[in-house]
Amino acid sequence: MFAVLINPNAFFAARLKDAVRLKVPLLIVLLSGLISGFGAYIIAGVTIEMLREVLPPEAQGIAATVGEIGAFVGAVIVTLLMWVVFAALFFGISWLFKGTGTFKRTLEVVGYGYIPTIFSSIIGAVLIYQFVATAQIPQVTDPAEMAEIVTRWITENPMMWLSSIIGILFMLWSANIWVFGLKHARNLSTRNAVITVAIPVLAYIAYTVWQLGVLS
Amino acid sequence: MMRLIPFLLVLLLVGSVAAQSVEEQKAAIMITSYQVSPEVLMPNDIGTITVTVKNMDPMESVKLTEASILERELKVLSTPYYNIGRLGPAESVELAFTIRAGYSEGIFYPRVVIEAEGAEIIRYQIPVKVDGTVLTLGVNKLPDELYQGERATVELVVGNPRPNTVTGVALSTAAREVIPTEVFLGTLASDDSKSASFNFTPETLGAETLNFAVAFKNGDNAHATTFQVPLTVLASKKSAELILTGIEVESTAGVSVYKITGDINNAGLEAARSVVLKIDEVAGVEPRDPYKSYFVGLLSPDDFSSFELDVKVDGNVTAVPLLIEYKDEEGNPFSLTEQISIESQPTSNSGEFPVSLIAVLVIVAVVIVGMIAYSWKKR
Repeated sequence: MFAVLINPNAFFAARLKDAVRLKVPLLIVLLSGLISGFGAYIIAGVTIEMLREVLPPEAQGIAATVGEIGAFVGAVIVTLLMWVVFAALFFGISWLFKGTGTFKRTLEVVGYGYIPTIFSSIIGAVLIYQFVATAQIPQVTDPAEMAEIVTRWITENPMMWLSSIIGILFMLWSANIWVFGLKHARNLSTRNAVITVAIPVLAYIAYTVWQLGVLS
Repeated sequence: MMRLIPFLLVLLLVGSVAAQSVEEQKAAIMITSYQVSPEVLMPNDIGTITVTVKNMDPMESVKLTEASILERELKVLSTPYYNIGRLGPAESVELAFTIRAGYSEGIFYPRVVIEAEGAEIIRYQIPVKVDGTVLTLGVNKLPDELYQGERATVELVVGNPRPNTVTGVALSTAAREVIPTEVFLGTLASDDSKSASFNFTPETLGAETLNFAVAFKNGDNAHATTFQVPLTVLASKKSAELILTGIEVESTAGVSVYKITGDINNAGLEAARSVVLKIDEVAGVEPRDPYKSYFVGLLSPDDFSSFELDVKVDGNVTAVPLLIEYKDEEGNPFSLTEQISIESQPTSNSGEFPVSLIAVLVIVAVVIVGMIAYSWKKR
């Protein structure tokens, strides 16, 4: 498993000799999603705390439970969906380069590329937890004000900046794995594999940077 | 001719007897008494002169035809009496005249003129005194030293050096720091005095002048005189002295909401009661829950208490006015304002990027770049 991180080319060359097995990639993506879900769980708790003045006391407990569990489950589902979306995008773009190979194989190699995101999710969750532990949670009554606060949290707080930048760095690492994975899974040249991966990944990075306020 | 002399003598005798009889009748009315009110006028005062005219004849009535008063220095405001009527035997009538004193002081003698039918005109001079002396006001008791914020009793004495009694004497002041603002003393006899006490709580340091006014009435004439009491207010040596220490301003991530914490200390020699800390509401500064204000209560000398306040500020605000309100042992309210800077305070969630985080970022980046480079090298 460690080989996919340090020598993905050799790992996928060997892996493609066997039949498609999605069990391990699914577990990798699921693990990444569960860790991301923990971060979402914390953020949801903070959001509910901010709305303490608006919510009636009897509804606060239910809202906290539903919100936090909903955020956790939502993050897991979004991570799984993103796995499929990335695979579909790679599959579609590589089709333009006359790539061959099944979608399941693409899904498999993309799943392996989620290993670095496990690390980034852990680091991100720790940074979010650290941020929430030291932050003063304001009481807001206006949803617009809450949106403004969350936006400023993302764009102005060093912890959140660090979390996002680390996420980008690990995404580049994942992209590197995906390049070699797609090269073998879709029978692409290295150049075409780079282009295939670069388009969605750069779009994702651009969106993340825009979220940080750099491009806004 | 010799026979005519005795006849002339008889005529003279008869005439003399007749003349004596008429003279007795002319002396039948007289002014038996008079009254000047007020007893002593002040310049420009209005007063009355009342004379009592009596018919001294026990048998015959007399008809009064005219009564008037004449004087150059005093202005007579009332008109003369005409056809007053008949005054029965031994009866009397009071006639009042209104006068106004001039601006000159001294004793004046207006002349009352009474005319009666068949009687000699009576002219009677009445002494009217005009004296401009006003009431005096002095300080009877005053502490040697006055301290800011400490209540002191100022006792004033009002004296009446006038030769007559004055009424409606009231002592008043417009000074905001003096209670009561007016003391009514009532009637003050000649050469008498009355005192009144005021509580004075100075709020400002340095020289200060308290202005008092004495109002009184001389008859129906209102008068007033003012009096100034120069004072020097010193800084209190014993009062509570509240100071803030250990101020920390912590920002809330994402919003301009700050939590101000610190200690409030009483470095004075007296207790501060009902101590309350609050954010003074000025433009761009808005106190926020849960601690819009913080109640400390009693703060004894050499004691301290922690506090915390929440405030939301606009982007351009760099300092927040922190208002401290307290009372002394006597319930006098005090307040002071401290400016808390929110600009230079280190905050745990500020927008600065700490060096330690940059180091972490660099390490992660190096590891990832190393991994990627290694994977391409192994390709």
